[in-house]
Amino acid sequence: MDTSNPAVFVNGGLMRMYVGRRIRTVIQVIQSDGGGVTGKSTDGHQLVVKGPQPGFPLTTFVEVIGIADTDRSIRAEIWNNFGNTFDTQSYNQLCQLANGEFKHLFI
Amino acid sequence: MFSSSQFDASNAFSGGGFMPSQPPQSADYPSSTARSRDSQGLVPVTVKMISEASHSGDDKSNFMINGLEITNVTLVGLVYNKEERASDVNFTLDDGTGRVVCKRWASEVFDTREMEAIQPVTNFDEVTCHYIECIYFHLQNSKSQVQGFPSSQPQMVDSSLNTSARTGLSGYQTAPTNLSSQFGVDGLKDCDQMILDYLQQPSSSERERGVHVNELSEQLKIPQKKIMDSIASLENEGLIYSTIDEFHYKFARG
Repeated sequence: MDTSNPAVFVNGGLMRMYVGRRIRTVIQVIQSDGGGVTGKSTDGHQLVVKGPQPGFPLTTFVEVIGIADTDRSIRAEIWNNFGNTFDTQSYNQLCQLANGEFKHLFI
Repeated sequence: MFSSSQFDASNAFSGGGFMPSQPPQSADYPSSTARSRDSQGLVPVTVKMISEASHSGDDKSNFMINGLEITNVTLVGLVYNKEERASDVNFTLDDGTGRVVCKRWASEVFDTREMEAIQPVTNFDEVTCHYIECIYFHLQNSKSQVQGFPSSQPQMVDSSLNTSARTGLSGYQTAPTNLSSQFGVDGLKDCDQMILDYLQQPSSSERERGVHVNELSEQLKIPQKKIMDSIASLENEGLIYSTIDEFHYKFARG
């Protein structure tokens, strides 16, 4: 069992707490081009995701796991398609809980 | 839902998709063990929670989380490093909190729980739901005298989420709809209560970083050592949590 390299649940507003660290978040894809993928976080912030894009087309909602370069950009390691419908409100609340009083269950 | 005749391990695992998995408690136990599995039902956990589980029993063969003996767990994560053998399939599950090696025994005889042990996630609200249920399990079973959990706390999980999340899973324990566990506060020491009161004041709770322990000591006229002891106890019970560092704390509320 290895818990040495967790990926923290974050939304846009929480990224500033984990710059340089491994995070995971779900974004709604707004635009995808050579410069990266621009998306909207579950709390409404605009994020940019860079790094080699996956070989498959992205759905509307994508989970990105990677390193937070800045408080608004991510260097992606893993992309997971989360489909075209997703409950962003519940996910956003989960991010807050996972970074608040229940942080010890996650990291 | 997969049955034993339809389960195609190579398709199910290809591409590294999200999968809920029920790992056997010990790699040496065959799936037809006679040990009772029904004491706790299926408990949603994170790998982090498993890594901090303690052992119990004379032979240290049982795991305990939050003081409860746990046999069957459910995890949701990414599958890596699948190794298929004649007798079993090994893989690593990464759920974002850690990685754990899982083993799924291949056997001619399956009971229904084994057949549905590993399923790919198709509705990704299940991922959110699983982690929220981990939090719920922890809250439900942590040993604490809780000062009135706000009833608004669990309602973030709306009914549509519960319905869609349960479609693909069976044997799942009931998702929470109301967390109104109201316990008396008689067991809290005076110092603990003074700290909680201070942290609940609007002037404290409005601060993003919370309150520094030095301020608590100065304002409450309590020695810092005693403050730190109370802080440790309150944090352990989930009543407060640290923010930017181990000196700043906020009251845990919904």
